Amino acid sequence: MSSAEADALKSLVKQQAKTTKTITSEFTQYKHMDFLSNDIVTKGNLHFKAPNLVKWSYVEPFTYSVIFKNETLYINDEGKKSNIDMSSSKLFKQLNTLIIKSIKGDMFDTEEFTIEYYKAGNNSLVYFTPKEKKSASFIESFHLTFNDKGDVEIVKMIEPSGDYTKIVFSNKVLNNPVSDALFTN
Amino acid sequence: MRYLLISWCFLIVSCGSFSKRQQLTEQNTSTEIIINPYFSDASQDYVYKASIQVYNNNFGGLLIVKKIEDGNHRVVFTTEMGAKLFDFTITETDFKVNYILDELDKKLLINLLKTDFKALVQEQSVISKSFTKDNYQIHQTSILGKKHFYYVSEQLDQIIRTGYRKEKVHFFFTDISNNIAKNVSIAHSNIKLTISLKSIL
Repeated sequence: MSSAEADALKSLVKQQAKTTKTITSEFTQYKHMDFLSNDIVTKGNLHFKAPNLVKWSYVEPFTYSVIFKNETLYINDEGKKSNIDMSSSKLFKQLNTLIIKSIKGDMFDTEEFTIEYYKAGNNSLVYFTPKEKKSASFIESFHLTFNDKGDVEIVKMIEPSGDYTKIVFSNKVLNNPVSDALFTN
Repeated sequence: MRYLLISWCFLIVSCGSFSKRQQLTEQNTSTEIIINPYFSDASQDYVYKASIQVYNNNFGGLLIVKKIEDGNHRVVFTTEMGAKLFDFTITETDFKVNYILDELDKKLLINLLKTDFKALVQEQSVISKSFTKDNYQIHQTSILGKKHFYYVSEQLDQIIRTGYRKEKVHFFFTDISNNIAKNVSIAHSNIKLTISLKSIL
C-alpha cells in the first residue's frame, strides 16, 4: 500500500471511530494452535458502548460472558458470576485499551506499535506489532482487516509461537441504541 | 527420641495401607498393563470447558489435550477468549513448560499441575498389584513415584492417587462414549481444589 493510501485509510478509520457510539455485532472466534487438527470455533455477540464499555457474550458451544467495565472484569460463566479487579494490572489496562481500539480499529495514533499496511482485494490489512516487550510476550502482532468503509472485519492476534486467535465480525450494526443495563452482571 | 519412636510405632499400627483401609481384596492378575483410553487417539482434539474451584474462587477456561505421538501429549489451558495461560508437553520421561503466564509461574502450582495432568493423560501404566471390590477391578500403579489406583468396571471409571495411605486426588471419568470421557473431574482432598472438565467437541 502506498503511503497516500495508508493515510487515506487512517483518516477513514479515525473518522469512523469518532462517529461510532455503539457497536453490536456477531462474532466467530477461531483459536488456532499448530498441534491441533482443527481450530476451536466459538461464537457469540459483541456489544460496545462509547467510551469504554465492552461485553463479549459467547453462546456456542457454551454460554459465557465477560464485561470490561472501569477496571473490573465481570464474568458470567454459565450462571456462575465472578469479578476480577484489574486496577493494579498495567498489562490489563493496556489490553483493555487495545481491545476497544481494535474493535473500533483506531490503533494508528499510538507509539506502542510498528505499523505496516497491505492491500487484500477491496480490503486493507494492517499489522500492528507492539514495541514493548511485556505485551509482546503474549502477543507478537495484531492483524486487522478493514473493509472499504473503514470498519474492522477481522482481528487476528498472533502469539510468538505462531498460534493465533482470529475473531471475524458479522452482521455489525453501528450506533443502534445499546442500554447501559446490558453491561451489568 | 523415645517419643518419636513411640509416635512412629503408633502411626504404623494405626494406619493400614490404602488398599487395607478400603477393604480391597488382593487377587492375582494376568494383565500387566492398565490402559487409560481417554486421551489416546492422536487424530482427536480433546477440548474441554474447564471450571476450577480453588478455595472460594472460581476460574474458567478451556483445557485442550492432544496426543502428539505415543507417550507424548500437549496440555494447554486458555481463557475463553483464547489467551494462553499455560502450555505443557508431557512425555513418558519429561515435562516441559512451553509457556506459562508470569502470574502463574510458581513452582508449587506447576508441580501440582504436572502430577495431575501426567496421571490424566498417561495411556499405559504397569500394574504392580490388583484387587477387587464390589463391581470394580482395581489396579495399583505408580506414576511419578506416587501410588495410583485404577478403578475399572466396564471401563475405567476412576483413578485415585494416594499419599500417606490416604486418598489425595480423585479422578472421575463419566458420560463415556467412543473412548471419550465427556465429563472429567479432578478433586483434591488435602487442598480445596476441584477441576471440572466438560467436553465441548
